[in-house]
Amino acid sequence: MIQTRRESAMKFVFAGCAAMSVLCVALICWFLFPNAIPAILKIGPAEFFFSADWAPEQNRFGILAMIAGSLCLALGAVVLGVPIGVLCAVFLVYYCPAKLYKPFSFAISLLAGIPSIVYGFFGLTVLVPLIQKCFGTVSGKGILCSSILLAMMILPTIVSLSESALRKTDPAIYDASRALGASHDRTVFYVCLPAAVSGIRSAVVLGIGRAIGETMAVIMVAGNAAIFPSSLLSPVRTLTTGIVLEMSYATGLHRQALIALGAVLFVIILVMNLYFSSRKRKEMC
Amino acid sequence: MKTYRKFKAVLAASVTALSLAGCSVKSDAASAESAQSTSGQIAVLAREEGSGTRGAFTELFKLAEDDKDLTKADAEITNSTAVMLTTVSQNPNAIGYISAGSLNDSVKAVSIDNVYPTVESVMDGSYTVSRPFLIAEKEGSDNKLAQDFKSYILSQSGQSIISDEGYVPIDADAVYEASGLSGKLTVGGSSSVTPVMEKLAEAYQKENPDIQVSVLQTDSTTGASGTVEGIYDIGMLSRDLKPEEESQGLESTVIARDGIAIIVNPSNSINELSKEQVKAVYTGEISDWSELLIDEN
Repeated sequence: MIQTRRESAMKFVFAGCAAMSVLCVALICWFLFPNAIPAILKIGPAEFFFSADWAPEQNRFGILAMIAGSLCLALGAVVLGVPIGVLCAVFLVYYCPAKLYKPFSFAISLLAGIPSIVYGFFGLTVLVPLIQKCFGTVSGKGILCSSILLAMMILPTIVSLSESALRKTDPAIYDASRALGASHDRTVFYVCLPAAVSGIRSAVVLGIGRAIGETMAVIMVAGNAAIFPSSLLSPVRTLTTGIVLEMSYATGLHRQALIALGAVLFVIILVMNLYFSSRKRKEMC
Repeated sequence: MKTYRKFKAVLAASVTALSLAGCSVKSDAASAESAQSTSGQIAVLAREEGSGTRGAFTELFKLAEDDKDLTKADAEITNSTAVMLTTVSQNPNAIGYISAGSLNDSVKAVSIDNVYPTVESVMDGSYTVSRPFLIAEKEGSDNKLAQDFKSYILSQSGQSIISDEGYVPIDADAVYEASGLSGKLTVGGSSSVTPVMEKLAEAYQKENPDIQVSVLQTDSTTGASGTVEGIYDIGMLSRDLKPEEESQGLESTVIARDGIAIIVNPSNSINELSKEQVKAVYTGEISDWSELLIDEN
């Protein structure tokens, strides 16, 4: 009797713990949207979403340039980071000599542990001058530099998730492919890699999420001019850096507009996750 | 064995690729070096909108017209003095501005209208690109602790801390003597004033061990509104009080001045600029260093 009562009490404790994470999301929504929606309505949704003119001192709040900036950087990071990350995982699983595996995987996990401000400083002192010299531009800061830096930052996520996806593939399909006469390389790239594609896709989603949300590193190397990006080397301001740059000074409508930026970011990540989870569900059926 | 050979081949290929990339970088660097300092596009760096330093800069160089900020839209923006310094110290084409108290050897400050920013030139008023640091209180407040701290700041010992920190002191001949008071004091506001205020509070607490001073960093606007609301006993501002703030019953005291230095890369051959030239650079009217050299000769 006591046993069952204790068990049912513990059930509530566990349910409470599980509810905490839901509660956190709910609380964030409760803070974000009541602040954001009135601001968007006051500015006018058309101006807010479709104007690239951001001049808060003159009450002009168009965030299109920042949305474009965030998407450009996420795209750049994925284009640079995903091929390297996935091929690195393939190497670790199928090609790496046993002696080298430990140092390689250790280096990658170390990469994940570096704080983003350190990445930012590395980018500012190493990548920015390098890009400036390579391309002979006025300043090395911009989309290219930020994308390279973000690619480095999402690499550990992509590698470790892709690696575990590859390791989870049924070893029988490898043996079967070899038995049919396919070479090692052919088997890896045409049999094992496609079998792990769902896991790799979730690696990419997490990578994009990190790239869009990253702030402290990007703010140091992006140039931060609130203009619509026109080339790979032009400076860029993202949604996150837009918030951090001005939050400490903003008051009134300006502050609300910055909170609205956060809400837009939240919705972008939400939509992305929903899209990918719906694809996953379709695949399972 | 086979995998090992393959791995070696990959390694060799990547090393070759890297060294090739390295070579091309080197040759580019050489050409960039020969071209620098006399010509080349100007990389313009500014602070973020709303920052006190940017506000003072735009006002002093008349970059604000009808409330419109004329700073060109594609200027690089940073919200940190450290990033500004690092960027200018690395980029031979860069120009930026920082508080003169934060100047160091990694960058070169230029003279404005033939006056170089030093503590003396700001103090005697010949270097005109400067702004006041203020403390604000409620008018007619009888807070004894606040009065005592204020008299410490304005005394010889307080002002010597201010000049030690690289800011420009005001005339002070009063000598401070510990009051023997006790209690708590809250000071809050401008992030530019905070570092020096922390030093002042530390020294003040050494003289008055029974008084606790907490310094809270926000911004000038919050410094003023917080003092009106009574959250802070003393507000810190890095700009003058706005008329609407004065009408809410605040009075201010200048505790120091801070020059704003225009900085360039040490390899840049330009040593002085006129106010008009700086303005033209920041509006985008002048976009190449060579245009500034011709003007100088």
